[in-house]
Amino acid sequence: MREIIKLGLILLIITTVAAAVLGYTNAVTKAPIENQIMQANVLARQSVLPDAVEFDALPADVFEGYDNVLEVYKGMKNGSPVGYTIKANSSGYGGPIEVMIGIGLDGIVHGVSVGNHTETPGLGAKAADESFKGQYSGKTVNTELVVIKSGVPKDNEVQSIAGATISSRAVTNSVNLAIRLFNEKLK
Amino acid sequence: MSLGRTFMKGILHENPTFIQVLGMCPTLAVTTSAVNGVGMGLATTAVLLGSNVVISLLRKFIPSKIRIPAFIVVIATFVTVVGLLMKAFVPALDKALGLFIPLIVVNCIILARAEAFASKNSIVQSSVDGIGMGLGFTLSLALLGAVRELLGAGSIFGVNLLGASFQPALIMILPPGAFLALGLLLALYNWASSKKANQY
Repeated sequence: MREIIKLGLILLIITTVAAAVLGYTNAVTKAPIENQIMQANVLARQSVLPDAVEFDALPADVFEGYDNVLEVYKGMKNGSPVGYTIKANSSGYGGPIEVMIGIGLDGIVHGVSVGNHTETPGLGAKAADESFKGQYSGKTVNTELVVIKSGVPKDNEVQSIAGATISSRAVTNSVNLAIRLFNEKLK
Repeated sequence: MSLGRTFMKGILHENPTFIQVLGMCPTLAVTTSAVNGVGMGLATTAVLLGSNVVISLLRKFIPSKIRIPAFIVVIATFVTVVGLLMKAFVPALDKALGLFIPLIVVNCIILARAEAFASKNSIVQSSVDGIGMGLGFTLSLALLGAVRELLGAGSIFGVNLLGASFQPALIMILPPGAFLALGLLLALYNWASSKKANQY
């Protein structure tokens, strides 16, 4: 009996020290981590809508009913709006894929960036490569985009990543959702 | 045992992947490219070094009956702290290795070294053991990653080697390729080392 109490106490000491270390580290790193995430978001917004200098968040009721849209920012330059950045989620092969889409007021997709995802490295993860996501730049909002597996993509088509059709479709679905939102609410 | 031997045994005679066949889960899962293999290996090396030192320090304090839960608490704490610090202060590194950090907690090499070595040896010996085992793990993962990347994508470390006419065998990047490549490398390694042993 005494031994059990002794062992329990030692384990308690170890876990208490561990908890204190973890709590302290969390307190120290919390603010810098939030800061990093914010900066990364600003960079992502700038990369998909290079024309804009400042970004204002739009209230959530603007995109109410668009289930997978996470946030919408209005890109401004010299006080006048130049376009919108729309962040949306869609389910890929390994879980949700976060996609940020920049659409200019001219109705052209200026850029797409792929954020957090858990796609297969070497396959679906290539969705974040310029060779895939770059295909969306310059597409117009007049038609829905379609993923094709082979052949030369036409104006409203994007070439699928080899062996990762589900991931390619997931990103495309997000872009189509953003296009729909833009046409129906933001234009 | 001399420090040099302690160091080398992790890389050759007791290589974690090819001889001890430990930590197969991360080995199979992340080696889709050589860079991933090196990343996982180095992150594991850092944690292994840290946990070996801490456990060697605490080896007289931890009673043997509760050593396993105590080791796991130490390792998990260590990994979480490293992960948080990387996220906060070196986001670029975190972006490259972030995926692997939580996986390290469940890597049995760390627990195996704590149990088999650090809990019985001095701090200096334990840290050398940690580095040796870590580098052995890194080398084997890099090798496995390089083989799979070469056959599955025609490149090594992202540099295209086989040219555009090469049709990549996609299966090598997919999970079955991990088992195929690991099995063949294991056989090759053991064939080579048994041939060497028979010479004497």
